[in-house]
Amino acid sequence: MNPFWSMSTNAGRKRTDGEEQGGPGEQKASPVRPSFGKKQLPTIPKNAVPVTKPSSPASATQATNGTHASYGPFYLEYSLLAEFTLVIKQKLPGIYVQPSYRSALMWFGVIFIRHGLYQDGVFKFTVYIPDNYPDGECPRVVFDIPVFHPLVDPVSGELDVRRAFNKWRRNHNHIWQVLMYARTVFYKINTMEPLNPEAAVLYDKDVQLFKSKVVDSVKLCNSHLFDQPKIDDPYAISFSPWNPAVHEEAKEKMFTHKRRPEDQPKGLQVSGLSWVKPGSTQPFSKEEYPLQT
Amino acid sequence: MMASVLANGMQGGPSVVLKGVDPETCMIVFKNHWAQVVKILEKHDPLRSGLGGLRLGQVPGDEASAVQNYVEHMLFLLMEEESGQSGAMGPILEFVVMENVMERLFIWSLRREFTDDMKLDQLKMYEMLIGQARQPLLHHKPILRPLMMLLSSCSGTAGTAELVLLLNQLCCVLAKDPSILELFFHTSEDQGAANFLIFSLLIPFIHREGAVGQQARDALLLIMALSAENHVVAKHIAENTYFCPVLATGLSGLYSSLPTKLDVPSEDWHSLNREDWQQVPALVQFLNSLEFCNAVMQVAHPSIRDQLVGYICNGFLVPVLAPALHKLTIEEAMTTTAYLDLFLRSVTEPALLHTFLSFILLHRHDNVHILDTLVSRINTPFQLGTVSLALFRTLIGLYCEDVMLQLILKYLIPCNHMMLSQRRVLKERDCYSVSAAKILIIPPPLRQLDSIVWSKGTHSGTMGSDFAATRPAFSEDDDSGNSCVIGSEIYLDVSYLHYLYDARNGISSCMRACRVWSAPYDGENPPPEEYQPSTLEETSRVRSSAAPRRATKNSQGQSQVNPQTLSDLTSPLGVELEWDDSYDAAPVQTEEEPENHAPIPDEPPKHIQELRRTAIMLVKGSYIEESEFQNDVMVYDLVAQKDAQDLKAKAKLNHVTPKPVVETPEMVMNCLDNQNSEPPVCNGLNSSLEKHSNEREGIQAVESKSPEGEDLVTQYEELIRTLVVEASSPTKSDKELRSPIVPMEEEEDDMDFSVFSAETPDSEKIPSPFGTKPRSASRNHSIPFTGPFVSVLLSRLENMLENSLHVNLLLTGILAQLAAYPQPLLRSFLLNTNMVFQPSVRSLYQVLASLKNQIEQLAASKKDFPELLTAAQQCLLARESSLRDLLPGSNSPQGSERFSGSTAGRTLNIPPVQPKIVVPRNRTEVYATVIFTEFLKELAAIAQEHSVLSHLPMEE
Repeated sequence: MNPFWSMSTNAGRKRTDGEEQGGPGEQKASPVRPSFGKKQLPTIPKNAVPVTKPSSPASATQATNGTHASYGPFYLEYSLLAEFTLVIKQKLPGIYVQPSYRSALMWFGVIFIRHGLYQDGVFKFTVYIPDNYPDGECPRVVFDIPVFHPLVDPVSGELDVRRAFNKWRRNHNHIWQVLMYARTVFYKINTMEPLNPEAAVLYDKDVQLFKSKVVDSVKLCNSHLFDQPKIDDPYAISFSPWNPAVHEEAKEKMFTHKRRPEDQPKGLQVSGLSWVKPGSTQPFSKEEYPLQT
Repeated sequence: MMASVLANGMQGGPSVVLKGVDPETCMIVFKNHWAQVVKILEKHDPLRSGLGGLRLGQVPGDEASAVQNYVEHMLFLLMEEESGQSGAMGPILEFVVMENVMERLFIWSLRREFTDDMKLDQLKMYEMLIGQARQPLLHHKPILRPLMMLLSSCSGTAGTAELVLLLNQLCCVLAKDPSILELFFHTSEDQGAANFLIFSLLIPFIHREGAVGQQARDALLLIMALSAENHVVAKHIAENTYFCPVLATGLSGLYSSLPTKLDVPSEDWHSLNREDWQQVPALVQFLNSLEFCNAVMQVAHPSIRDQLVGYICNGFLVPVLAPALHKLTIEEAMTTTAYLDLFLRSVTEPALLHTFLSFILLHRHDNVHILDTLVSRINTPFQLGTVSLALFRTLIGLYCEDVMLQLILKYLIPCNHMMLSQRRVLKERDCYSVSAAKILIIPPPLRQLDSIVWSKGTHSGTMGSDFAATRPAFSEDDDSGNSCVIGSEIYLDVSYLHYLYDARNGISSCMRACRVWSAPYDGENPPPEEYQPSTLEETSRVRSSAAPRRATKNSQGQSQVNPQTLSDLTSPLGVELEWDDSYDAAPVQTEEEPENHAPIPDEPPKHIQELRRTAIMLVKGSYIEESEFQNDVMVYDLVAQKDAQDLKAKAKLNHVTPKPVVETPEMVMNCLDNQNSEPPVCNGLNSSLEKHSNEREGIQAVESKSPEGEDLVTQYEELIRTLVVEASSPTKSDKELRSPIVPMEEEEDDMDFSVFSAETPDSEKIPSPFGTKPRSASRNHSIPFTGPFVSVLLSRLENMLENSLHVNLLLTGILAQLAAYPQPLLRSFLLNTNMVFQPSVRSLYQVLASLKNQIEQLAASKKDFPELLTAAQQCLLARESSLRDLLPGSNSPQGSERFSGSTAGRTLNIPPVQPKIVVPRNRTEVYATVIFTEFLKELAAIAQEHSVLSHLPMEE
């Protein structure tokens, strides 16, 4: 899948991506707001997956969900964009995601656990969305490092999402719900039909041992935090130790962001006009200028 | 004289000479010179010399020139003097002030013959002194006062460049050092002359052309800027000067010298671009003054601004522009419309825009809102319709809430156009691009065209072209091919990416602009309940009476005698294509049309009589441009109707207009509606005129018989009666009418005109177009109506295949711009294909579907259609690339981006890259088909971007 949209973060950002564990620096990972607003069409990467060649109409095939073959991918792309904006809207606490550069069907994410058994855990994960979205299965969530958790496969790191969304229903189910679910499992432990039976048994029988295993797991995950991303992608989330030279400015920006909208120099001429008094539907009801005639 | 010598000598000479000369020496020289001068002055001073009688002309020439020489040198010295320590006066200046040198010199010159030449010289002298002195001079009364005396002596004389230049310079000094302002006021008080002489002297030059005028305006602007800070100045200008009235009435004067008819370069021409107006000096001059007004509003004190606004409205717009927009020939109305469009594009200052827009939206001329007249003209044939479209493109591009409210939103606020259950869906987002997928109903013959390199700029009239600047970024895509294969065998229309990109830009700038709006228009705010039509303003307007009939279930039935369909039949194209049994019914047009007309004043104004006369002339075939008309709509409609008749009948009738006229049902509707009720009957008339063999009789009857104006009414009625009777036939089932896409199989003869009268009392059955308006039925306000503007646009769109390329570019451009507005009411109405509207409401999607059908039939009936399409596409591409080359240099008056697309029309006829086959322009259906396809993509892209952008939380 070709990325029609891309984050404003360029490939270079990968290096500067850093994360102070916990604390305020956490906000860093939010790719969401500033970058999305600047969404722009990249030139189609020359050497990326898509191959450009003259089309021959004859071979145009049925698209997955579109009426016309050429546009199906656009619908998919925008469905995912819409999902992404929904995620932004939800402002899920401690969860950050960023679609990959190569495919809108793959999102990189990181989740910060702020209290409970998994407190201080920073778990990176990847969301895989089926390419017949929204008519297919529910998206998959796979942790980079298999967290010790009853619902996380100890080998693949995949979280059992399907139990919460056994049938994915378009218009009702959204990806933010999956992310929300991924967060919830760390606060409310469920041991039914576990993917990691050991964890489930321990939790039920020996919470203390479970807790210590969790602590170990959290430590393990955090010790790999600065590793290169598992998937090589310009938009993969990567962490680096705090480096004031690189991060201070970004942090500053984030804290000042809130009062920025005003002083952003916008083309003055672009702005619209209104002389309608709020609560009225009469034109020129505002007494800004004296009305002639 | 002295200053001219001074001026000539000034080029480097003395200043170089004086460099390095020590100040003391200068002072000594200066004093010596002055002593010599004084000797001569005193010798001729009547008071001192005791030679009381001696006055003018008594100064011997050698003495005069001696004085002149001395003064020249003295002025050099003064100019070159640096100010003393910590800003104190230099010794020479101090001496000048103490000895009152300047005033004494001035009085001396008064004593001699004070000719205009001398004044001129002195003006130059001061100009140089002020412009080049190294220390501030004007702070000192002994310098300022003689200057003011000089200026006031100039006030009566012929204005010269020198005077304005000096005034300009004084204003510059003022702007830099407002503390002098006080002195200027006081000095003039001393003389008892009008305060603030500089300003009064400048006023006569406001509208002057050329450099002098520009200098004067620049100078005035400096003072305007001062007025914003200085209340005294503002008050003085507003209360004691004629600045505002002169400025505003000057506009009227300049306007009156504009050409009343423009030479239209080509049929596609639709708006005045820079290249156009730059060739009309009168227009340049007008725009200069208008720009000046704009600038004044920008910088001046609010009291001046408000006063100016008032004068512009009551001194220019209402008395001059309003009549100009009306009582004229089509050509003149077209020209005025083009001017108005240009003015709107030239004005940027909100206060001035406010004036213009409130004039357009609220002012009534002959009891009709200007806006209504303008809207109705969209539907007129000739250039007027096209130019009106261009005007509306400008209006819509302003992102002005008031405009949008009047044009569209107020009709949507009550939410009556949709099913009640749909209100809650209004704001719903289209997560999965369902609407986009539905909109992209590209007719089969066009699908293959996707594979041709095609970039969006073809829609030169649309918002897309605004982003022309960014487009080159895509060139590499274009080079590498237009579609790309992703994964296995999925082809992408890369041009669609451009549409998405443009859509994103368009929507986000629109969203940004609309932040200043008073309400979100989301179906909740303003609350629909509170703004039911009965509470809306237009209830006060008298509407047509056809409502009760339409309110019934029968409304479905009416649509089958679809005016659209019928007019299609009448069009030349329709004939050519043999519309035998397959035409599609665009449903429900009839229902909304009757309301689509300008409000009717309670008593038909006197211009109705005028209209009758014109209409008679029309029907007689004697309509000529100079014939006066008052009711545009009526006349245009009749002209259009007549042309259509001419074409169809190929009769001996005089052809009035050279080009085939695209007839739209509204014309006819409007025409009757304006006068009367019962528009459907009118449609019936219109179409049956075309279809029935005896049509000629009817027309000829009118033509031959109508001797005097009064009879026309009778004849008209008669004609209608005949036709209605003939046309009666069985009714069709409602079912077919509900689905717009199902082609109707009936023969034309199956048309049932009886529906028109089904529930109409006999007395109303046959309307009299010119009779008094029946008031029998008040408008049923619950009848869904999306407003005349939308209705006109959609019906013109439905005629897309017969529209000229340029009309289509404008139309699709306007609709695309409308679709970019983020207000859920508008967005859902235009783009949400899942929305269920009231049966009587025609949606954009219905029109698109109908067009698709028309095109498919076209394609089926013409073997060479695909080739033609490909060729047309190449022609358009060639045109586009030529436009793109031209774009940077050709901007709107203010160089604003948003109108750059308007250049399109001018260059349309010169395709630089010659495509293999040039599809003739009159193959409108071929071009329209290509544009249609691109329009679908554009709309789909906008719908898709809305699903993302409009739901993005506005950043806190």
